[in-house]
Amino acid sequence: MGSGLLATESQKGQIYLVETHEIKGEGNGLNLTQVGAGTEVRVSRLECPPQTCQRLREMGFCENALVTKIRGGADLVCWVCGTRVALSARLAKQILVEHVDGRS
Amino acid sequence: MKQDGVKRWVAVIGNPNAGKSTLFNALTGLRQRVGNYPGVTVEKRTGTAFTLHGEAMELIDLPGIYSLLPQSPDEKIALQVLRGESPGVPRPDVILCVVDASNLERNLFLVTQVMELGVPVLVALNMVDMAESRGVRLQPQELSHKLGIPFIPTQAHRGKGLVELRAALGQTLLHPGVHQWTMPPPLAVAVGQIAAAWRDSLPAEGRAEGKALELLAGSDVGPEGARKLALAWRERFRKEAYDWSAAVVHARYEYVRNVLGEAGMIGGTRVASWTDWIDAVVLHPVAGWGVLAAMMVTLFVSIFSIASYPMEWIDAGFTWAGQMLESRMPAGVLRELFVNGILAGVGGVVIFLPQILILFFFLGLLEDSGYLARAAFLLDRVMHRVGLSGKSFIPLLSSYACAIPGIMATRTVEDPKDRLTTILIAPLMSCSARIPVYTTLIAAAVPVALVPVWGKAVALLGLYALGTGTAFFLAWMFRKKMLGGGSPPLILELPPYRCPAFQTVALRMWERALIFLRRAGTVILALSIILWFVSSFPKSSDDESINLAGSFAGQLGHWLEPVIRPLGFDWRIGIGLVGSLAAREVFVSTMSIVYHVGGEEGGLVASMRGATWPNGTLIYTPLTCLSLLVFYVYALQCLSTVAVAKRETGGWRWPAFMMLYMTGLAYLGAWLVQIVGHALGF
Repeated sequence: MGSGLLATESQKGQIYLVETHEIKGEGNGLNLTQVGAGTEVRVSRLECPPQTCQRLREMGFCENALVTKIRGGADLVCWVCGTRVALSARLAKQILVEHVDGRS
Repeated sequence: MKQDGVKRWVAVIGNPNAGKSTLFNALTGLRQRVGNYPGVTVEKRTGTAFTLHGEAMELIDLPGIYSLLPQSPDEKIALQVLRGESPGVPRPDVILCVVDASNLERNLFLVTQVMELGVPVLVALNMVDMAESRGVRLQPQELSHKLGIPFIPTQAHRGKGLVELRAALGQTLLHPGVHQWTMPPPLAVAVGQIAAAWRDSLPAEGRAEGKALELLAGSDVGPEGARKLALAWRERFRKEAYDWSAAVVHARYEYVRNVLGEAGMIGGTRVASWTDWIDAVVLHPVAGWGVLAAMMVTLFVSIFSIASYPMEWIDAGFTWAGQMLESRMPAGVLRELFVNGILAGVGGVVIFLPQILILFFFLGLLEDSGYLARAAFLLDRVMHRVGLSGKSFIPLLSSYACAIPGIMATRTVEDPKDRLTTILIAPLMSCSARIPVYTTLIAAAVPVALVPVWGKAVALLGLYALGTGTAFFLAWMFRKKMLGGGSPPLILELPPYRCPAFQTVALRMWERALIFLRRAGTVILALSIILWFVSSFPKSSDDESINLAGSFAGQLGHWLEPVIRPLGFDWRIGIGLVGSLAAREVFVSTMSIVYHVGGEEGGLVASMRGATWPNGTLIYTPLTCLSLLVFYVYALQCLSTVAVAKRETGGWRWPAFMMLYMTGLAYLGAWLVQIVGHALGF
């Protein structure tokens, strides 16, 4: 899905336009475990079960959120939304990211 | 429903690590009560505070949560209480949100959800000192203006801002605030329709949009028309692959960022701090483990050895009290009941108190300082292999001293299945009460002359390893085969390091002590009186040993003998096993009575070595001693542990399961030792 406007119809037949944004890096699969410590990246997509995605978003790992990886290894420490958050590597692999300058 | 003299109920809510409990303690002091919410094991803490005019308020300290979309038991309870749906808890009149001023973006996410509940909201902007040290320019008046609710700056750990907070809580003009975040169009249409279907039947103070979002999330509370609409929209979003819940999260965060931006409060640029420098060591792949080991050794040694001094004082105190009663009361059943039943029972419980206090002192320090989260982070990978989380390690380590405080410490384990698994295996960690049994039996089995002291130490270590290894195996079994599911993936906030608030730590120690004494004491006291009775009656002789043999417990020992004979045990060991039900170390004193000896280990060991079956063969062969040792490694012989497990699991079901599986394991283990030993020619 690229960037643009999507026409959608409501139950009462009203047409409304939804703005959509292209998710950069889609399909490239760069995940949080693959960036170096000290790197700031942007979350592009979450590929985990819905409940886990919900929890990640509530902790600040929303799509388009800026994340700085502080420490890597089997478990990661990231800086997001003004807090240090520890993640298992298993979970970090499900967080797809892109470099802030748009590189993936 | 309100208590007499209490004008309003205040629910205190906030993210973990926002200083909520510190603020709660600062407002309520010792006027706190701890219990459980009905039907669940989530802790309920309430306390009384006063406005500046002396008006009483009842505060309820809700669990720290990140969101009101319930995923965990804590979040479900918090939402029920805030909605007024928790039995026995009135709907709050005011909600006090405690936010970390140095981390406003995520903390205000929860506030936007709370504001939709239709209850007046007040925000304590806590840890302002930390925020200012990070360069965040706080504008509480701006935030109050934009969200329409009061923001009161506080530093709970220093007691600052409490006067203003009490004044604000006493106001009668508080209101829910203004809903201003913008829903994305598809969701706005859905919420608008559902809200319209609900609005007519909603209480005046209710918020239709908030209720509509709850219905979309799957709640079944609401008018039929609204529920059907919500179901239809949910299905439509699913077909169109529109993640509406993600859209809500994004929209809330965008709103919060706009508010903070307009107030000039987007600071948050990360700068290196002493938290980073400490973490460089504490989270280092090698040094971190060294720090953790040092912390755990300190904790373990403190529980194990420092506690022994006050434990000796308590023991001496109860011994003195027993001697006083013996000298003042006429000989008879009543004196025996008080000395051997009540004092022995109460003393047997109270003696654990120093270990409980020391454990919760250290836990409080580690948690409040921010280190406990790092420990859980380091240990998670190891514990995850057996289906547990890193937070299970501290309760299990504590159980080496005593399973009672260890099981109580499982409250720090958030996942209910992880917590239950930890409780189920904690008694397998060889506690200090087993040591008298281990050392007596090892001495009986192997004469000093034949094996050097280090050999006995290796034997002791082997017993610890057996218990620990079995515990981890069973944890894996319980998690994979019985309780289902794996541990949730680790996602854990690491708070900045800070100096522990000693008032908070002290209050926690006090409430844990009260809980322990009140609950374990009542149950174990009753059971100890029962055990005294069955060990003393019917009276058949003035000789203590003969009387014990003829008592109900002795008869039970004889009755048990055919069952325990395959393990190499006779009826006298049976009496010891029955007596050990109250407390393991009772085995040594019971056997001393059975074999007519005083309390000295040497005399008992010699008597045990010479004890024979009717056919003249020795009872306490090395094989039998090993069977008995394995039995004591596995058996659940501590009624205090059962009582505490009952409290922590909310019923008798799981303690009964613990008793059954551990008894079965003990029997099987001891029997296998006999079978294998005989097969090998021992």
